[in-house]
Order: sequence, then C-alpha cells, then structure tokens
Amino acid sequence: MRINPEEIRLAEHCLAQALAQGASAARISLSKSVTDSFALLDGELDKVTRCTDRSIFMHLYVDGRYGTYSTDRLEKEELDSFVRQTVAATRLLAPDPLRSLPDPSRCAKDAVTGLESGLYDPEYETLEPQNRLELAMASQPRVDAPQGCRIASIESEYSDNIDDNLILDSNGLRARHTETSFSVCCEVTLEDSQGRKYSGYWWEASAFLGKLRELLPDCLPTAVERAAAQVGQGKARGGRRTMVVDRTVSSRLVAPLFSALYGMAVQQKSSFLEGCLGEKVFSEGLTIMDLPRERGMNGARLFDTEGVATLNRPVIEKGRVGMYFLDNYSAGKLGTEPTIEGPSVPVLMPYAGEGCNIPGNEINLPRILKECRNGILVTGFNGGNCNGTTGDFSYGVEGFTFSRGKIRRPVHGLVVTGNMKDLWSSLLMAGSDARKCSRWQIPTLAFGDVSFSS
Amino acid sequence: MNTKQYYLDTFRVSEENLKQLIATALSGGGDYADLYFEYSTFNELVLRDSEVSSGGFHVDYGVGIRVLCGEKTGYAYSETTAMADMTAAAKAAAAIAAASRGGAGAYCAAPAAGLPSRPAAGFYPVTESWRSLTADRLLPTLKTIEAQVRDRAAEIPDPGISLEKVVVRLSSSESDILMYNSLGELSYDTRPMGSAMASAIFSKDGRTEQKGASRSFRKGPSTFMSESLIGEISRETVRGIEDCFAASRPKGGKMPVVMGCGASGILLHEAMGHAFEADFNRKGQSVFSGRIGERVCRKGISIVDDATVVGNRGACNWDDEGVPGQKTYMVRDGILESYLHDRISAAHYGVAPTGNGRRESFRYNPIPRMRATYMESGDADPSDIIAGVRKGIYVDEFRNGQVKIGEGDFTFYVKSGKLIENGRLTAPIKDINIIGNGPEALADILAAGNDLKLDNGTWTCGKDQSVPVCCGIPTVLVRSLTVGGD
Repeated sequence: MRINPEEIRLAEHCLAQALAQGASAARISLSKSVTDSFALLDGELDKVTRCTDRSIFMHLYVDGRYGTYSTDRLEKEELDSFVRQTVAATRLLAPDPLRSLPDPSRCAKDAVTGLESGLYDPEYETLEPQNRLELAMASQPRVDAPQGCRIASIESEYSDNIDDNLILDSNGLRARHTETSFSVCCEVTLEDSQGRKYSGYWWEASAFLGKLRELLPDCLPTAVERAAAQVGQGKARGGRRTMVVDRTVSSRLVAPLFSALYGMAVQQKSSFLEGCLGEKVFSEGLTIMDLPRERGMNGARLFDTEGVATLNRPVIEKGRVGMYFLDNYSAGKLGTEPTIEGPSVPVLMPYAGEGCNIPGNEINLPRILKECRNGILVTGFNGGNCNGTTGDFSYGVEGFTFSRGKIRRPVHGLVVTGNMKDLWSSLLMAGSDARKCSRWQIPTLAFGDVSFSS
Repeated sequence: MNTKQYYLDTFRVSEENLKQLIATALSGGGDYADLYFEYSTFNELVLRDSEVSSGGFHVDYGVGIRVLCGEKTGYAYSETTAMADMTAAAKAAAAIAAASRGGAGAYCAAPAAGLPSRPAAGFYPVTESWRSLTADRLLPTLKTIEAQVRDRAAEIPDPGISLEKVVVRLSSSESDILMYNSLGELSYDTRPMGSAMASAIFSKDGRTEQKGASRSFRKGPSTFMSESLIGEISRETVRGIEDCFAASRPKGGKMPVVMGCGASGILLHEAMGHAFEADFNRKGQSVFSGRIGERVCRKGISIVDDATVVGNRGACNWDDEGVPGQKTYMVRDGILESYLHDRISAAHYGVAPTGNGRRESFRYNPIPRMRATYMESGDADPSDIIAGVRKGIYVDEFRNGQVKIGEGDFTFYVKSGKLIENGRLTAPIKDINIIGNGPEALADILAAGNDLKLDNGTWTCGKDQSVPVCCGIPTVLVRSLTVGGD
C-alpha cells in the first residue's frame, strides 16, 4: 500500500523531465493514499467504500516564473506530456523574483523512511475486508433509547487510511512521511414524544488500531448520551455572560487566530494580527505551542509541504504573538526570515486563571464549571464566521446553562458575538483535557464577559 | 457538441468494456450498478500585487463504480481506465452485495443490446473549450478587473479611504463525463465552469476592511469573459466600502428581518433545501420527514430547485446518475410537494428521481444535492416590504451558512446590511450571524417581493462533498429571526 520503488522512480523521472524541459528548479510531491470505510445504518451495513489515490504535484520555477500543477494520470507518456505543457504554461506568467525553493540548510534531513514520526501501524497491512466489517459492526452495539424518546436513526462509520508522501526537489531534498489512521464516528437522531428531533455524535481516532479498539465500544453510547442531553432544549436570555467552550468544539475559536498568523494574510493586510509580532495582544493565560516533533502525536511531521524541517516552538506565549507562519514566498514578500508554512500539532497549554490553585494537569470541564460558577457552556457551533481582517466574529451556538458550577438545562438558538482580540484577552481558564484523537490539542476554555443574543 | 465516440476515446474504453464492467459489478448479486467516468481539468490564475505571477493547472481522471443492493451502496474507483484496474474497482464495489445478504430488488438489471446515445438538454452550450486557452488569453481580463477596481476606488467620495491591496482570481474547469448503468442507459456531458473573483483591502484611520465580489457560470470562455462581467465584479468590489467603515453591530435579539433579493437565497438553501434532501428524509432524520402534502408556508409561495437555468452555476444537463436535469418544485403554493431525490431515495419513496443525484467527482458516490434553489417571485413591492417594518434589519450580503437537519436550526453569516427604523433603511450593519429554525422561518415568511434575482456568486455547498450551486430569492420579510449583536 505504500509508495513502491517504481512510483519513486516515476517521481524522480518527473523531476528530471521538468529540468530537461527548461525549469531552473522544481519540487515534486508524490502522494499515495488508500481509504476503506464501512458505514452502518440502524445496525445494517449501508455503504462500503474503497478509495485509492495517487497523484503528483509539481512546483515549477521557469525563467524566474512559478506555477503549480497536479495530475493523477501517472502513465509515463501522459506524465511527460503534462510536464512539457506545464513548463510552457509557466513561461506565460509574470516573473516573480521572490519565488524559489527553500534554502537546503532549512530542509528536513531526518525523514528518510517515512516512519520517523511514529504514526505508522504495521497492523494496517494485515487488515482484510472481513476485519473491517467486524470493526464496523462493533461500532454499533445495541443501545436503548433514553426514557421518553425513540431512536429515529443510528449511523456509524468505521474507516482506516494509509497516507504516504514523498517530496523531492532539485536542490537534493528527499523527505518522506507515512501515517496510518483508524477512526469510528457515530451519529444518533432521537425523537421525543412531541416529534422533536435531537442529534448527537461522537468519534474516536488513532494512528493505531489497537488504541481504537479500546475506545470503540464507548463511541455509540456517548453519542446517544450527547443527543439525550439536548432533549427539552429551550432558549436562554441574552446578555453578557461567562462562556465555557467544550473541548470537542473549542478549536473553532483557535482557527481564526491561526488564519491571521499566515504570512500571506499579513502581507496582504487582511489579518487582524498584522503588526502584532512580538506584541502582547491576548490574555497572559494564552500559550499555544506547536509540537510537530512529538513522536506519535496525531499531526506530527518532520517537514512541511516545502520540505522545511519542523521545530517545536511557541506560536503564542503568555499572550504575546511569537511567530507568523511564513513559507519561503510570504517571508520574501515581507522581507523577513521564513519560519514554517503552518501549525502541525498546536497545543493550547493549561491555564488555571489568576489566584486559582488547581494543578495544571487537572483542569477539566467540571473544575472549570465550578470555578466559573454561572454562564453558558457551549457544546456546539452552528454556523457563523470571523472577519479575518478585523477579527470581528459572530457564531450560532448551543449547549447548556450552568449555575453554581452545575449544568442546568439545554439551550439552543443563541448567537455569540465579539472580536477575537477581546475574546482571547478575556480568557479565564484553559483545561488540560484536550482530546488526544485530534491533531489540534485544544482543551475546554472559559471566557469572561461574552455577548450572547437570543 | 461532442459525440459518443469522443467520450469513449477520451476514456479509452469500448462499449463492450462498459458492459463487462457492469457485469463484474453485479457478479456478487447487486440490484443495480453504474459507471461514472470523469476527465476534469482545472486552471487558475491569480493577480496579486498587480502581477499575474501565480497560476496552476490540475488534472483529475478516473472512473467511479457503484453497486446498489436495495438501498445499500458499494463504491470504489480507479484513477486509470486500464481494464484490469477498473475490474478490480468493480469487484471492490460488488462486495456490498456479498456483505449485505442480497438486496430489495428495487432496480431491474437489464443491460441493453446496444448503447443508444441520449441527447443532452443543452443547458450550457459549449462553443469553445477552456482547455484550448493559454494564460495569455486570460491575463487581460484579470488586469482589466484590477484596473477598474483601482479606478472606482479613486472615485470614492471619502478622501480618508485608501485602497491598499487588490487580488483577482480567475479559475476555470471543464469536465468530460461518461455514464453507463445496468439499465442500459449511456449518457455523456461536457461541463464548463468559469469563475472570477476580486477582493480589495481598504484602510481608513488605521482600520482595514475587506470587500469582494465573485461571479461563476457554466459557460465556455468566449461567453464567460465579457465587459459586463468585469464591470459587475469591479463595481461590487468597491460598492459599499464607506458603509463598511461606518457599520456597527445592531443590538442583538429577535426581530423582523427583510432579506434583499438575490444572495438572501441562502435562507432557502440552509433553512429548507437541505432538510428537503431525501436521504435525510428516508432515514427519518430531517425535521421535514413525513410532511409531504402538508402546508409549510403561506399560500402563494413556491420554492424550486432547478437544473435548467441556462449557463447557471447549478445547471445540469444530467445529474451524476444519468438522470435528466429538470426543475423540481419542493414547495408549490405553500404545500410541500417533493423532496430532492437521487435514485436510492426515489426508489424508497416510489417516485421518479428528480435529477438531484450529484457528486464532487468520480471519487464520491452520488447523493441528493441542490442545484439552483430559489423562490419564485411574489406580488409585493420590495419598497413596501421595507416600509412595513417598524424596527428590524435588512440584509443583502452573506458569507456562509449551516443547518442542523434534525432540529432544523439554521444560521447564516451576514457581511452587510442596514437597520430598518420606522420603515426606512438607516445605519449600516455588518459581521453578524443570524439564527432561526427552518419550519418556523418558512411559516414566518410574511411577504415575498416581485423581484426574484438569482445570485451568480461562487456558491459551493459542502455536504460531505463540494458541489457548485446557486441560490436566489425575491425580497422577503421574515417575521422573526435571532440576530447576533452587542
């Protein structure tokens, strides 16, 4: 299932052809992946899917010009023709002196076999369709409907994947990354006695099948529990309240920060964090580390798509913007040194809040609710967006009211509105409970004085 | 229009190959099988910092093979059309029959002796291929859009507003599609798409704001690129920037919302369209499940999903199951008349497919999806609708939306609008989310204007797979929605 020697030779041939056709430099990425999924509907097999993908992505530098090209037609004659056409097409673009391959000294040299990140499970190679079917069936154990409800539908899906990537460039870069993943997702729709519907979902994922097997039995019961918790959803009054955001959805509030840290957004003046490098713009409690070199963590990688070696480093430290995500080109546009194209394994660090004595590794949802006492616990976002230029945001949310540290009743139809800088300046607490199955390690969060409309 | 042989040659297959693959796909006992061949090319050029120094070209080629066993699906694909690879994919898809103990026999496998051509409807006549164009033909359009944005920005009355950056993007695609199924139906199609967008960053007193506009059509290059397209995009990119700087957020809460004609069709897409997609309904998950024939909104309101608007981004000569493109009334005169069906849900409900079986590419199995979704014009004067609101908001520019199918809760994000005070549009507003409940909002439409407009922006729907869609609506008044605000 991994990239084989013949495919490697094809990538090498592609690179040689690009140079022979007149490219002054080139980078070739060969990707190969296989995904199998077995989906069940109400206890019966509903869909079986097998996806096998193989493609070549080329970055060509021709006469000071630059173009990107991809194809999944990997027969040699097709590829030769494609390279010839794309070199010619690049010549029609305007020259751009800032386009170049990254300095070889910055590129990864330790990604030789593809297995160095520790995300490959050899058990993947042993799986047969029957094994996958059994795993899918195990994802849908018999569950009882919660009192007062009937189960309208249960959907679950088991899937596994292997992803193998090889990058070559004309400066001699050769880097490879291989990873497997196994996941199960369950979604339940309940109907109450008045015919109102409530849905809940849960998922588990791991790079290792053994780990998923441990987690799999609880997936559907958790989805049912989450759907049942919403029965009787009502409205909550608007106003300025404390907002706790559950770890399952808290990454939604981090994504706009990362978008604003991309070099191209900064250079194009479409980032609300333009001019903030090194500045303290958020709460002292906000620290986000990027840990791509933590072997075995979901999302770990030794190099980015330019082949540049990753580093463990702070992105935001104690509220201060520590870096922009600068690939070779955007760094050149900004006249500064490149960093890395984007985050790999961002980890938002625990923060107990001022004057709070909870140990950093024990900050979870119950503790946060207890400390915050009253407010809205957000367990789901429903639409909304953030204006990347200004940081203004407005999101639909649902969840629960809580008072005196206890969850009280389910609510929906709320809109939370504000500005990202203000929101993250009002960070009260950050948990130590991020879900290990996610690439982004974002825990339960608490913010003070947030505007809700209803 | 290309001939049958063109498509067979493109995919290097013979009619005999097609029949063999269907036979292999059904060898495990499935009820129905289909093949979906695709050769797509994508081009993109980007103007940034006044130079077109970035471009790309991408090729996607392969065949998807589906086997149905009752309502159960087996799906696999191959990125080559070598017979050995396609046969392996057909066998993988056939596994569904072995794994699901046979099917309900809803389909009749009856391969035809010959493969007659079926004429396509011609909702996007192609006179020139995007593939025949090189970048030098497209560069003037990008540069002219940028120049016009700069010219219009120079005419902004407020001297404090300055234009900082302009990005213009021109993308195009062309897909050759060949479909064959176990009913013996052979269909083929060439689908062009041209899209252009511009965005601009403006500054004033140390603040920055972004404006943008886009247009997308199923058209070839000679009909897509026009003076009017350039004019519309550049005008819309600059229009309203003064309001952006002046805008604030309204006081949040429930209030009447007047939705301007055109892009406000996102209301129909999120609040109703998804919940009318029949896969959600046959599984009993939709808030509209079991409500066919019921009144869902006022008399006089009709909501359609339409594949037949010539040149429209949502137009389909065929859907991706080989069902002819058509116009489907979801709601007629206030009564829920039809869900949006693919072949599976149509068989489930015992009705004809409505041509809504769509997919992102050969890598995906088709599922019910919208095309161009809009409300037909009513009889109210739009200005009277606004005049009838004492206190509320008017919205006309959007970014994205979402819906929870079971609960019916939907949202959409408003880029710009205005307050309505005593029947008049007053202060500008921006960046607010609006939330409501689909059935309630539908029942709460109090008035529909006589000004239906389709919005021709680059709308893309992301229900598991991305497909191009369009939306439209006349000016409507919704009695009450929850508006985000301070």
